[in-house]
Amino acid sequence: MVDVSVDARARERFPLGVWGIAMLIATEAALFAMMVGSYFYLRFKNNPWPPAGTPEPKIVVPLVLLGVLMLTAFPMWMAARSTTPRRWLLLALFVQSGYFAMEVSDFQDDLHHFTPQQHAYGSIYYTLLGADHGHVAVGLLLDAWILWKLLFGMTEFRARAVRAIALYWYAVIVLTIVVTLTVTSPAFAR
Amino acid sequence: MTSVAERVDRLERQWAERPGVLGWLTTTDHKRVGLLYFWTTLVFFGAGGVEALIMRSQLIQPNNDLVGPETFDQLFTVHGMTMIFWFIIPMTTGAFGNYLVPLMIGARDMAFPRMNALSFWIFLASGIFLYIGLFSGFGPDAGWFNYVPLADRLHDPSRNIEFYTVGLTFNSIASTLTAANLIVTILKLRAPGMSFNRMPLFCFAFLAASFGLILALPSLSVDLIFLFLQRNLGFHFFDVAHGGSSFLWQHLFWFFGHPEVYILIVPAFGIATEIIPAFTRRKMIAFPLVAIAELLVVFIGFGVWAHHMFATGIPSTTLVFFAGATSMVVIPSTIQVFAWCMSIYSGRPRFKTPLLFIIGFIVMFVAGGLTGIMFLAIPFDQQTTDTYFVVAHFHYIIFGAAVFPIFGGMYYWFPKVTGKLYFERPGQISFWIIFAGTNLLFFPMHIVGLLGMPRRVYTYPGDMGWTSYNVIESIGGYITAMGILALFTNLVVSYFRGAPAGPDPWHGPTLEWSVPSPPPEYNFAVIPTVSSAYANWDAEDRERDGHRLTAGVGTLERGHEQHVSSLIDGWTSEIVDMPHSSPWPILLALALSLLFTMLVITHYLFAAIFAVVLALTLLGWHGKEPQENG
Repeated sequence: MVDVSVDARARERFPLGVWGIAMLIATEAALFAMMVGSYFYLRFKNNPWPPAGTPEPKIVVPLVLLGVLMLTAFPMWMAARSTTPRRWLLLALFVQSGYFAMEVSDFQDDLHHFTPQQHAYGSIYYTLLGADHGHVAVGLLLDAWILWKLLFGMTEFRARAVRAIALYWYAVIVLTIVVTLTVTSPAFAR
Repeated sequence: MTSVAERVDRLERQWAERPGVLGWLTTTDHKRVGLLYFWTTLVFFGAGGVEALIMRSQLIQPNNDLVGPETFDQLFTVHGMTMIFWFIIPMTTGAFGNYLVPLMIGARDMAFPRMNALSFWIFLASGIFLYIGLFSGFGPDAGWFNYVPLADRLHDPSRNIEFYTVGLTFNSIASTLTAANLIVTILKLRAPGMSFNRMPLFCFAFLAASFGLILALPSLSVDLIFLFLQRNLGFHFFDVAHGGSSFLWQHLFWFFGHPEVYILIVPAFGIATEIIPAFTRRKMIAFPLVAIAELLVVFIGFGVWAHHMFATGIPSTTLVFFAGATSMVVIPSTIQVFAWCMSIYSGRPRFKTPLLFIIGFIVMFVAGGLTGIMFLAIPFDQQTTDTYFVVAHFHYIIFGAAVFPIFGGMYYWFPKVTGKLYFERPGQISFWIIFAGTNLLFFPMHIVGLLGMPRRVYTYPGDMGWTSYNVIESIGGYITAMGILALFTNLVVSYFRGAPAGPDPWHGPTLEWSVPSPPPEYNFAVIPTVSSAYANWDAEDRERDGHRLTAGVGTLERGHEQHVSSLIDGWTSEIVDMPHSSPWPILLALALSLLFTMLVITHYLFAAIFAVVLALTLLGWHGKEPQENG
């Protein structure tokens, strides 16, 4: 015999929206796994890597920027737990926007040295970085959207949205770590 | 005190959909979305069937010129794509999954109703997109697995392959949305008491297929993105001259493609595990083993992809590893075959049409499985690669094993969906016609394949000894088509003239049979409680539901309410307000379609404009919050 009340008014610890974002992260993680796998598949088919005449990937700037992005996990974590998350979200958005601007600038700088049309290395390098930057850009749009919504006050839906967006950012940070280490790996291997 | 009639009346008002066409365009009801999927996939099934019949008519005699080689290329490519991506996957996950999963787990809707509607509209648009390509002479023409370099710009300079890359990317988005929705629905919306061990095997199967889709489709998406970039922007992923590798396409494709086979067939297993108990009047034998086997078959499917590449020249150590890994699939498959057979043998079977289709499915699955095992012998595989033997093998699996249970499921759940009984004798006749036709169509392909007939040739010389086999195959194709027509004629006539079915004509084991036929918009007047996997056979529980309805306990009638349950035990953890009908899903799908169309015709400025429109639509979607609903 089942004895259960279905009129419970308790709050779910992991609401449906968070589950939805978890599904998105699962499928996006698989997407990046395939791209990173493709990178190493092409790498093992080519020697030297990067091809002769192509500069080695930079290490210092991408790793410093990666550290900055990782730090934004803290304000996102605080925002997800706060009843007044706006200031934490603003702080995160400020730093994340700076990171994004620097990365876009770095991307453009790389394009002056080699292009995706030159060889398979360039193709996979720019595709991986472009996909990662695209995910950062989506995160920025989500931040901006929820900040705009929060201008009109806090609701249960918005509190859950902040949690879901924070989860998305944690995933973006992990993906960025993987992508950055992948594209800088030839420099480490020397 | 509120009476039962008043409670039901209130639920009907709260859950009522808009009337007319507008109601269908804006619907978020899982049953309506399921029906939209059903009718749409049937149209695509018809299109894929016509393509098959044209190919069989072309091959009925040597040196035939009914269609030329270019048209034939497009026919077999679009036939394969249609049957896999626009028929079987959407028919199982989209139609059967959408309609039945919430009913089986005691939920009132899917976890994300608007996303559910969105997935359908994107799916519809992707299919229209593909067929616009075919009818305008730009149908994909490099086979359903679209190998490069055949599919690169040098060898296929026209727009045909763009209809492949963009159409499939579009389709993948729809399938991913449906899969994510099914996973969260099954994990979080189960009826109180429905712990994992009390969940219907049908739901285990759909859970496994959905996880397969979520994790396998990205591999295809990456492949498609790479090819699109290579063909349109001059990238070099698959271009050997610039450091790329054509093998990369194959690895990525088959890393998706083999799990895909199980994604196609596992829902069929789920349908079988519902029909067998209903018509043998006994619970499934080895329930936990079957549940694990359903999950395991998809999991193992991720480790076997290179067995599609045995003839490509990859190192022999790799071949042996993948042959060994592939042989492991036999274990969960055999567990299920024994469980189905022994459940039928030890039960009291009623050989109604749905069970006949399941028995036919078991026969075809074993036959197709045995030829599959033959491919593990690497020299045999290398000898028969790209012959009709392969075509025979996978049609036994994909048509015999994946589609037969779909037909059986159509008959089984017809009374639930329509409230009418189908005509039994014509149903049985349709089964025997389809069974005979299918074997006539596909069995000779084994022989003609062993005789060396390559697949994908638009014609062949008359002195090869292949003609008589091809004649039999084509006749088998026509007979199969007649059987399928008989099946649908029976269902259409039954819809208009069938006897009333009542809520439970089969004494079915799962919760969908506890509600009226067709089910009301709110599904359950009272959220059912569950104490076994065969909840509708637990008379005490169902009686208690009646008392709870009278007392107003668990009726969730204060709005568009749905219970959310804990992950493992299925205890209620929250009551949430669900979104109701909405115009945003169809508008978003429209914006996305225009974006993809602009990508195909390489109008990137317009593509960017529609990307902005897409973002605005998303803003509109989230403009009204759930608390403001109802």
